Amino acid sequence: MKNGFFRPLKLLGLALFAAIAPIGATLVTPVAVEAQELKGGTLRVGLLADMTNYDPQQFSTVNFHLIKNLYDSLIEYTPEGEAVPSLATEWTINADNTSVTLKLRDDVTFASGGKFSSADVVATLEKAANPDLGKNVFGTMAIVKDWAAPDATTITINFKAPVPTKQITDLLQFMIPIEAAGIATVETVPAGTGAYLLADRAVGQGLTMKKNPNYWRDNEPILDEIVFTIFADDAAASAALESGSIDMVYGSTARNAVRLQDAGYQVIRGPGSLVQVFRINATRAPFTNEKFRQAFNYIMDREGMVKVAYAGLGTVVALPWAPASPAFDEAYTAEFAYNMDKAKELFAASGLSAAEMSDWKMLVFGNDEPGVVISQIVQNALAEAGINIELDVRQGAEYTDALLGGDFWATFGAVGNAQKFPSRMATNSIYRTAKNPVLKDPHPFPDYVAAIDKVNATSGPEDAVKAAYAELNRVLVTDSFAVPTNTVDTGLIVASDKLGGFTLDIDNLLVARTIGFK
Amino acid sequence: MKLLRSTGSVLQRLLRSPGSALALLFLLGITLAAILADLLPLNPYAQKLVNALNGPSAANWFGTDEVGRDILARVVFGARTSLLTAAGAVAIAAVIGVPIGLVAGFFGGWRDATLMRFVDVLLALPAILFAMAMIAVLGRSQVAALIAVGITGIPSFARITRAQVLSLRRRDFVTAVEAFGGSSAYNMFRTILPNSWSPIFVQIVVLCSVAILLEAALSFLGVGVAPPTPSWGEMLRTGKSYLHEAPYYAVLPGIVLTLTILSFDVIGRSLAGILENRSEVATPAKAGGAP
Repeated sequence: MKNGFFRPLKLLGLALFAAIAPIGATLVTPVAVEAQELKGGTLRVGLLADMTNYDPQQFSTVNFHLIKNLYDSLIEYTPEGEAVPSLATEWTINADNTSVTLKLRDDVTFASGGKFSSADVVATLEKAANPDLGKNVFGTMAIVKDWAAPDATTITINFKAPVPTKQITDLLQFMIPIEAAGIATVETVPAGTGAYLLADRAVGQGLTMKKNPNYWRDNEPILDEIVFTIFADDAAASAALESGSIDMVYGSTARNAVRLQDAGYQVIRGPGSLVQVFRINATRAPFTNEKFRQAFNYIMDREGMVKVAYAGLGTVVALPWAPASPAFDEAYTAEFAYNMDKAKELFAASGLSAAEMSDWKMLVFGNDEPGVVISQIVQNALAEAGINIELDVRQGAEYTDALLGGDFWATFGAVGNAQKFPSRMATNSIYRTAKNPVLKDPHPFPDYVAAIDKVNATSGPEDAVKAAYAELNRVLVTDSFAVPTNTVDTGLIVASDKLGGFTLDIDNLLVARTIGFK
Repeated sequence: MKLLRSTGSVLQRLLRSPGSALALLFLLGITLAAILADLLPLNPYAQKLVNALNGPSAANWFGTDEVGRDILARVVFGARTSLLTAAGAVAIAAVIGVPIGLVAGFFGGWRDATLMRFVDVLLALPAILFAMAMIAVLGRSQVAALIAVGITGIPSFARITRAQVLSLRRRDFVTAVEAFGGSSAYNMFRTILPNSWSPIFVQIVVLCSVAILLEAALSFLGVGVAPPTPSWGEMLRTGKSYLHEAPYYAVLPGIVLTLTILSFDVIGRSLAGILENRSEVATPAKAGGAP
């Protein structure tokens, strides 16, 4: 009776809403709605791993929640890869692509209160170019000859040879100024210009950031405080999100993200996916045999891997590029699809005996659940081909030491920079052209080194650039010292629906300055 | 013959209790399945990715895991891993622990003090931590897990044996053997040890459950038997990640693990009660003749 009485009113209300909704939609853009309606407060974020240190040049995924909140880059990329100003308001590349001149903002201060100037960029470049201090940025500095700072807001970077424009903007986007006075202590004391300031940190438990009251971007940051809490595993973090103890999880696994999305949570996927790569130590038998290595291109059931290990989140690839990369070539994905017969042919063509082909172990990172799953899939496929190997499962630092020290036959490990300038792939250890910890010096695949050099040296015309990319792709599958399988979402965000204003970073770093409560 | 009769009598008394009978039946089933697993139409390694995380069905009674393997097959073959580890660990613990307790209790003095301080050191170390450290040194394998779990069981055998020896050492039949010129070794192994078996045997059963639990805990922590070798602990470890999508994945192996441990405990308690009541002391003649 009561329902019957209210039903006409409900229908009337719905009709009115339906009538005025399009008017509202045409009057206010979604971005404006968010900017007006998002509120500050304390954001509680769940993480699955503790940070290592505050050095923005140590570009480890466990530090991804810090870097773009405590620091700013010289320039930024939109999710589509378009370069936009940040600490540098403009950048001018000279006619022959041998130098770039930047104009810096003059209204920026560091967390210490010190004023940002070209001297800080010079100090940052010096650190980056130092093989002991440059960490992940050092490889990118290989193209840089020198630099000069004629005044406090201008800096010119000179290159050793003409450099493609995309490679120049990649360098600027990767360059995160550190206060000159804080360079020596940056691992323990953040020294950036970011939207947030470090408030406190409890090792292994989490950290808190406070709003930077002197931040240079208008109306940002929105939040007053961010509290990061470290959880032992994704299931615990997800349970905390579902219970309302936290507002979002950063770095969720694909499987939990899919489950929580189905339960009504927001899942934010950035453009900066990694590429999962089967890394092969081609200096150790039986992987010194080219045909044996090439067979692994066909033994990977990539579709199955994405389905079971990554809950369908990811794209199958046979090259180390995300689909957004200029070097990505769809044809390779089709050509190197799972094909057991072809794999067996190549194994047979290798001339190795069954015992020789089985005389190795696959290193597995026990803390990485998807990695354990896909390793078992490969192990099973190899058994089908008559190659019986064991998994060498290691945890934590024991695995990392083996991986970075090249102490393995083969292992899965994701690589970054998959959507940037192709030669940036060479910043990943297995793809390094020099001082490669796995393949050692001199590099056993000079054709690969030459192909990377060619890509670096070819800034035009377009046909020449494409030819350089095509040659690099051909060499990659011929040498097969690394066999890519699929893209992997890093920095996946699963958030409560009361949050909005997410900014997608090209590397999937957490950018919290635009996030607020609806 | 006497041993058979004695075992038969203990078994009869065990079967009189419904709880013990059920536990014995369950363990018998699990043990037979573990031994005869290769004859069963089950393959714990066969992957079928399209069947990943399918629920229990007529084809897969316990459902399938994240790569489409049959969970029932993995539980059955996992029993082999658990029982083998338990048996090996108990053997190591008993073979090392019993002689330590025997020598310490029989001779006393500095030998007792030295051996028991060594046992105290082992006892002071948390079993799981010690086992993890051992595996870190030996590497991750079933043998390493077996040795690690076995070493953590040494103190309990040593202490129980020593206590038993101390209570028997001054008994008349021991003194008599000594008076007749029986050597220390003869007295320890032919006179005292046969009369100490009851608590040791109970300890064997109890340690089986501890060993299975410890092996599962090591696998759960990711340092036990390496995948894809089926292990109950490893299944629990992986299954907990799929609790929302496939609760049966962790729950069913968990139930089997719980029932196995419970069965060992029930039998251990019943045995302790039965053997305690049989306070009969074997004389040297009963135990194996005069020196």
